[in-house]
Amino acid sequence: MTKPASPAAHAPERQPTDWKSAAMQKRIRRRYAAERRFRMLGAGAVIVSAAFLAFLLVTMVAQGWRGFTATELALPLDLKAAQLKVTREQLNSPAADLALASGGLEEAVQNAAVTAFGPDGASFLAPSAWVWVRDAVKRDPSLLERRATINVPAATGFDQALTGDGDAAMEAGVARLTRQNAIRRGFNWTFLHESDSTDPVAVGIWGALKGSLMTMAITFLIAFPVGVLSAIYLEEYAPKNRWTDLIEVSINNLAAVPSIIFGLLGLAVFLGTWEIGGRVYGPMLPRSAPIVGGVTLALMIMPVIVIASRNAIKGVPPSIRDAALGIGASPIQVVFHHVLPLALPGILTGTIIGMARALGETAPLLLIGMRAFIVTPPGSFTDPATVLPVQIFLWSDEVSRGFVEKTSAAILVLLAVLLAMNGLAIYLRNKFETRW
Amino acid sequence: MILGLGLIGWLTARARAARFDRGGRKRLHSLPAQHGWYVGMWTILPPLLFLAIWSAVSPSLVRQTVLQSPAAAGLSDFAFERDSVLAQARAIAEDPFAGDGDPLAQQLAPVVGATRTRYAWIGSAAAILLAFAGGAFAISRIRPDFRARSKVERTLMMGLLVASLIAIFTTLGIFVSLFWESTRFFEQVPITQFLFGTHWSPQVIDAKNPGASLGAVPLFWGTFFIGAVIAMLVAIPFGLMSAVYLTQYASATTRRWMKPTLEMLAGVPTVVYGYFAALTVAPAVRKLAVLLGDPFASSESALAAGLVMGVMIIPFVSSMADDSLAAVPTAMRDGSLAMGATTSETISRVLVPAALPGVVAGVLLAVSRAIGETMIVVMAASGAATITLNPLQSATTVTKQIVDLLTGEAEFDSPKTLAAFALGLTLFIITLLLNIVALRVVKKYREAYD
Repeated sequence: MTKPASPAAHAPERQPTDWKSAAMQKRIRRRYAAERRFRMLGAGAVIVSAAFLAFLLVTMVAQGWRGFTATELALPLDLKAAQLKVTREQLNSPAADLALASGGLEEAVQNAAVTAFGPDGASFLAPSAWVWVRDAVKRDPSLLERRATINVPAATGFDQALTGDGDAAMEAGVARLTRQNAIRRGFNWTFLHESDSTDPVAVGIWGALKGSLMTMAITFLIAFPVGVLSAIYLEEYAPKNRWTDLIEVSINNLAAVPSIIFGLLGLAVFLGTWEIGGRVYGPMLPRSAPIVGGVTLALMIMPVIVIASRNAIKGVPPSIRDAALGIGASPIQVVFHHVLPLALPGILTGTIIGMARALGETAPLLLIGMRAFIVTPPGSFTDPATVLPVQIFLWSDEVSRGFVEKTSAAILVLLAVLLAMNGLAIYLRNKFETRW
Repeated sequence: MILGLGLIGWLTARARAARFDRGGRKRLHSLPAQHGWYVGMWTILPPLLFLAIWSAVSPSLVRQTVLQSPAAAGLSDFAFERDSVLAQARAIAEDPFAGDGDPLAQQLAPVVGATRTRYAWIGSAAAILLAFAGGAFAISRIRPDFRARSKVERTLMMGLLVASLIAIFTTLGIFVSLFWESTRFFEQVPITQFLFGTHWSPQVIDAKNPGASLGAVPLFWGTFFIGAVIAMLVAIPFGLMSAVYLTQYASATTRRWMKPTLEMLAGVPTVVYGYFAALTVAPAVRKLAVLLGDPFASSESALAAGLVMGVMIIPFVSSMADDSLAAVPTAMRDGSLAMGATTSETISRVLVPAALPGVVAGVLLAVSRAIGETMIVVMAASGAATITLNPLQSATTVTKQIVDLLTGEAEFDSPKTLAAFALGLTLFIITLLLNIVALRVVKKYREAYD
């Protein structure tokens, strides 16, 4: 743009900006460059965050997939020649495990490995390989009197040598056994239906998973009704006074209290001893049991459910309440017959998200003692149990290399369950979301 | 069983009331189903209440009966020894193959078993009797003009009130239990020594002067350094920039896909982050430290834990920033754009300053979340309490020490265990203050633009 052609008598003091001048063009270019940089920075932040998530998942899958595979060795056994000091009667008694263990079965299995796979054959077997043989003998006692080939798990080092990162001795063993055609690979069913063990080859997640399910059941049974009922009260009936404010403030604060504090609460209240009037009252709930974990987690996620339910109830338009009241429903009927069914999808979504949070929680459960070494899955709500995240924590502390892949595999299972829960929540939200 | 009885009560009452309704000269005051609920409640609630009390009382009743039985004559007078034998007897009574314990326990087991069965029978008989009595009483009250609805609804309202009071009880429970154990701790260790002492080594506690090795300043520093400095240096730029990009620049499709993806970061369990930090990030950080010329770098550095924690907090900061940016009136944004500002100038000079209170509140909440985070530091940070400014060195946090103190083998009354509760109380108070301040800021700020 050029300057005004005719200089007027009262010339404006300020000249209009000349956008085409070199200085202005440069300035605009600089500003647009800054704009692009800013935009790139934003996109970069999103991409880096997503990349971190992807990196985490890829690391876990890369380490974890091997936890789902099992390497077994076909071990030819001649238990008749081994002459175990075990009788048929002993095998049918409840003490069969003990009898086989003291009868020299472990040694027999190791000798068989040496005979079949060479002088270092015993090192190819997992330390708990004889347990597989023991269970096979218990299923079929005739094994004691004949030759047979039993599949037993290979040692962790052998498994690693098979995929190319073991030591030289194991690599040689792998080559030899491949020639003997004694290696079997397959899906690791043990991992899905066994519990904790000291031998990484023999561990499974079923015990921890069952503990998690039982804990979640208790959590749901307490947190869902209490959360929904208090949301109804606060949203529909509560008078505006100091007490209601106090309830609201405590719910909002509870939602932000660190989870470990709930562990301390559980420890002090449910597991501590109380001295009232000179008499000591023992722990309210049994230690390490799903019931105490469930109650603690229920207190933790209750605020989440209350807040989600209140939002869902708030979303139901007042005209529905007015219509119901208008045709003669009582206030209770209005809520339970009309408002609650309409708010239910939102409430359920919030509940599922809260439950997912409880399922992934570790710290409070560590404090209330759900970190024991649990070999048998819990049979009831008062049995000692552990949960999946705590099991992951315990395995991550193990020194043995075999536990690394098992830990990652357990993490994959946990993530899959959580993903399914969140997916369900999103599906519910999309399917039943109503725009009023 | 009792639920079944309740159902029967509900059905009969409903039928009875319905008959009144059909053949009656008077109109029913309440619907038949409400009469049903009335009877059902009378049938179920009293026995359940009774069973709850009974299950609390009966163990001590069993105990007394067993102690008075002739088989218990040989029991030791020492409470501790007696309790252990009784516990063994209980285990044997539950499972005969529980193992061979004390011979006295073997002898007591049948007595314990029989007494327990007897009390269980008494309890269930009384509960069923109560159920019948309650049901009969309620059914006898059904008349056409009986106001069942008001009674049922009043009970229900009581239930609602009780449910919402549980939140208050939980808060109170947390505060009282932490405070109670902490006062016991401060009886043994002066509070000033705990809060201002700079030496923390709970492994070696001098019994005469336990406070000397329980000074928590290194823990407070470590918590602040990892949670409020390193983690925030990661979370604030990434969280804020992601929120800005997703709300201001990204297309609807990108937003629809990337927002849940980022939120997944918050859904990953902390134990997974901890494992990742310990197994992948910490060795990498150590390698970096060695490259920088520190051959003795710790593999449990503050940086590894802080970095991963920061990533975990990103979606938290981002969603808070998202909300506050969305709350800025569109007129301000449009005005700035109309004046010729570029989008980035509008964001950094208009939107972010206007949304600043909300963003700051979000950061405060994020800090409160970070310093309360446990599993990442338990798995990736070290237990050695040092005060350092070097992120490549080790640092420990309050939460990690709570877990370490409580998972060791120590009796409940030792200063070591009680120190965990004092740490918990400190943590609780700090996070509470942060939350209250943050919520107040958010509220003020919302009002400013409404």
